[in-house]
Amino acid sequence: MAELDLFQWWAVSIAGGSIFLTLVSIYLYADSRTRRERPTSKVRGPTRIMTDFIFVWVLLGLLIFYIVSINIGSATVFAAGNIFVEALLVAYLLKNRKRKSEET
Amino acid sequence: MRQLKNPIFAILVACAVVAGVYSELKQAIIILSMIALSVVLGFYNEYKAEKIVENLRQNVAIKAVVTRDGKLRQIDSRNLVPGDIVSIYVGDIAPADIRVVKCKDLQADEATFTGESFPVEKTSESLSLERPMPQQLTNYLFMGTVVVHGSGQGVVVSTGKNTQLGAISKSLVRSHPETEFQRGIRKYGNMLMTLTFALSVGIFALNAIVGHQLIDSLLFSLAVAVGLVPELMPAIVTISLAQGASKMAKVKVVVKRLVSIEDFGNMDVLCTDKTGTLTEGKISLNDCRSLGEKEDERILPYSLLCNSAAVGDAIVGNPMDMAIWEYAIKNGKEQSIKPYTKIDEIPFDYQRRIMSVVVKDNGGHLLISKGAPESVFARCTQADLSGKINPIETVQEAINDKFFNLSKLGYRILAVASRQVEEKSSYSLDDEKDLTLLGFLIFIDPPKKDAHEAMSRLKDMGVEVKILTGDNELVAKTICDELKVPVKKIVCGSDLVQMSWTEMKKAVEEITIFARITPEQKLDIIRALKENGHVVGFGGDGVNDAPALYEADVGISVDTGVDVAKEAADIVLLEKDLLVMAAGINEGRKIFGNTIKYILMGTSSNFGNMFSAAAASVFLPFLPMLPMQILFMNLLYDVANMTLPTDNVDEEYVKSPKRWDIGFVRKYTLFFGPFSSLYDFLTYGIMLFVFGAATNPALFQSGWFVESFWTEVLVIFVIRTRRIPFFTSRPGKWLIVLTLACVAFGTILPFTILGSYLGFTALPLEYWALLVLMVATYLLLVDAGKVFFYKICKFQ
Repeated sequence: MAELDLFQWWAVSIAGGSIFLTLVSIYLYADSRTRRERPTSKVRGPTRIMTDFIFVWVLLGLLIFYIVSINIGSATVFAAGNIFVEALLVAYLLKNRKRKSEET
Repeated sequence: MRQLKNPIFAILVACAVVAGVYSELKQAIIILSMIALSVVLGFYNEYKAEKIVENLRQNVAIKAVVTRDGKLRQIDSRNLVPGDIVSIYVGDIAPADIRVVKCKDLQADEATFTGESFPVEKTSESLSLERPMPQQLTNYLFMGTVVVHGSGQGVVVSTGKNTQLGAISKSLVRSHPETEFQRGIRKYGNMLMTLTFALSVGIFALNAIVGHQLIDSLLFSLAVAVGLVPELMPAIVTISLAQGASKMAKVKVVVKRLVSIEDFGNMDVLCTDKTGTLTEGKISLNDCRSLGEKEDERILPYSLLCNSAAVGDAIVGNPMDMAIWEYAIKNGKEQSIKPYTKIDEIPFDYQRRIMSVVVKDNGGHLLISKGAPESVFARCTQADLSGKINPIETVQEAINDKFFNLSKLGYRILAVASRQVEEKSSYSLDDEKDLTLLGFLIFIDPPKKDAHEAMSRLKDMGVEVKILTGDNELVAKTICDELKVPVKKIVCGSDLVQMSWTEMKKAVEEITIFARITPEQKLDIIRALKENGHVVGFGGDGVNDAPALYEADVGISVDTGVDVAKEAADIVLLEKDLLVMAAGINEGRKIFGNTIKYILMGTSSNFGNMFSAAAASVFLPFLPMLPMQILFMNLLYDVANMTLPTDNVDEEYVKSPKRWDIGFVRKYTLFFGPFSSLYDFLTYGIMLFVFGAATNPALFQSGWFVESFWTEVLVIFVIRTRRIPFFTSRPGKWLIVLTLACVAFGTILPFTILGSYLGFTALPLEYWALLVLMVATYLLLVDAGKVFFYKICKFQ
């Protein structure tokens, strides 16, 4: 029972941390838009917002994966999931790097 | 001693005392050892920094020739003591108050001291004066005055603050205004203190509420407080600045006040004179031009007679008078003054802007005046055009045109006039009237060859240069045009007088050249620019520049400047050159960049770790990390950061001035801090539910210590750049070496005797494999976070 309580505490903490980070991201994003808003600037469509928030989706995906894999208690699942996420992040960073060089 | 005054030191001592009295003696010993280590590290770094700065200051120190033990030697003038016998030569600045005991034609320029521009003749004779004023003591050389003629020897009577100049200088010895960097650090400190206080009180209260031991809770909350505060920050900032100063010295920029380096790098407006920056700073006489077609042979000898330069083995005096002599010598005309005998002199002053002499020639007494054309014109009633005397009103327009055209060509002009005067024993300012204008002296200070390149470089670096000159606007404009320096607007000092403060603040933004301005106006311009939110640098080397050098965020002088200017300056250039300045600014920006890295590290990963420690302490049945473990990690983390000042800085970072933005630091902390907290929570999960550490506190603490330390230290490679770490931005080699060495040490620690003494235990092999994967994901996620923060949200 005590073990279960601990897990709940833990899950709440890590979920709380992730949600906090997500909220901070939304706040920063909104703040940056307000800061840079010009009368002529175009309103960003939902697709663009989805892409801008890729990092947040990855974060929330990771949260679910971590809670599930640790609940199972399997180091193998945990390791495999990490490798998968790393590959995703590397692809994202490389794509981003490419886009940057195109812009310049 | 400064190390011991640090509030963190008090917290650490409190931890040690609480641990010693109420908990384990072992903890107290370890905490005390860490205090000792922190103090030694801090002291060593600051000592090293001070040595560097002291060595740099030696480069710009004034030297004195002194006879000690019968031997003549050159020493730093600061080491003079009363009783020393000092030898003085032409061009020397008196290094102390000296009673002259031997002299030959000794004359000193006491303008720095009394405002008197005419040299004062010195004597070795005794004087019988009752309650003399310092300026009456002609057998004294006062510190800071310049020997313009002759040589001598004297006994040092008083030095430093005890001299007459020292007494005057007390009005100048005011604390420098707080720099932008200091303001930033103060705000950052306040932010950190508030966070630390709130978090440690909260942790203590929560731990007590959930039933943890009160002493353990107190120790833990104190340790978290220590963990949050980057206690080595003062030492790291100081060593960063000192190492930067050392690098800047290699590009001929000597830093006198370390905190000014950051502002030097971040200044966005540079106010400077044009002499030596846009021009070569070497004035030469180009021509003596009469008003008519025919050459007037009198102009050169008259200007040699009406001249304050001292001519001996060397020519010493103001640059224009020296240039007249150099021209005469070069053309073999120095003997042209032989038929004249000097009778009297009415010295130059800044109000009249002319000087006059009375000489005796075959025809009687002749008064000759030389000075700023406008001032001379105002005292003339006639003009000599090829031997024909005309009333000035009839030719004034033609004369003005000539003056205007010469100024437009970039020449600096003085006018020469004369008149026969009745013979009398002395003459006064009232005699400077009814003069006959003879012609002009045309001087040239050629534009500097690399000035255009320097100006372009500064512009590219985001530094706007404003020219503050005593010259007329036409000369300044012509020089700028020749150098293709874009000039937005030119304004004269007389126009500035008419402006209200609000108009002035608006105007300073639009003006490139401020011509014919007074020292007080320089001060106003700097104040207006500062109020407009600029970081202002001011370059000056004259006596009158000292107040402006103090007022500017960064006072910049040159090694050849007068002592009082060098004293007031934060930075001294060994060469008056804008390119030298640009190189210095570049270094300043690198130092700022590395300091900011440390601050961002401290407020993100460090804060995140301590936050997760606080959260874990509430739901875990034991402390997630022992206080001594937190303190040890903190110490190791600081050691790893020691080489941050040597790190490389990305090229784009130094391209524009950066400002201290506490709002940015807050947002950065808010965003990047939770990343490390998340991974700490993840480690808790692995330790508790994969490795069963719920009943093994030592295993849990070891696992978290290693993960926490790895993430906290390795994240520097991600945070230090906005580019892709290692691939497009290479860290400094010492940063790599020391960081990896610390990571290696932290990794093997749980397996060592010291580790077991600290309460750690060996970790299973499987954990290490997971740790590598987890930390890799963490670093990649932070890098992705960078894309969101910098690229999508565009925070700068």
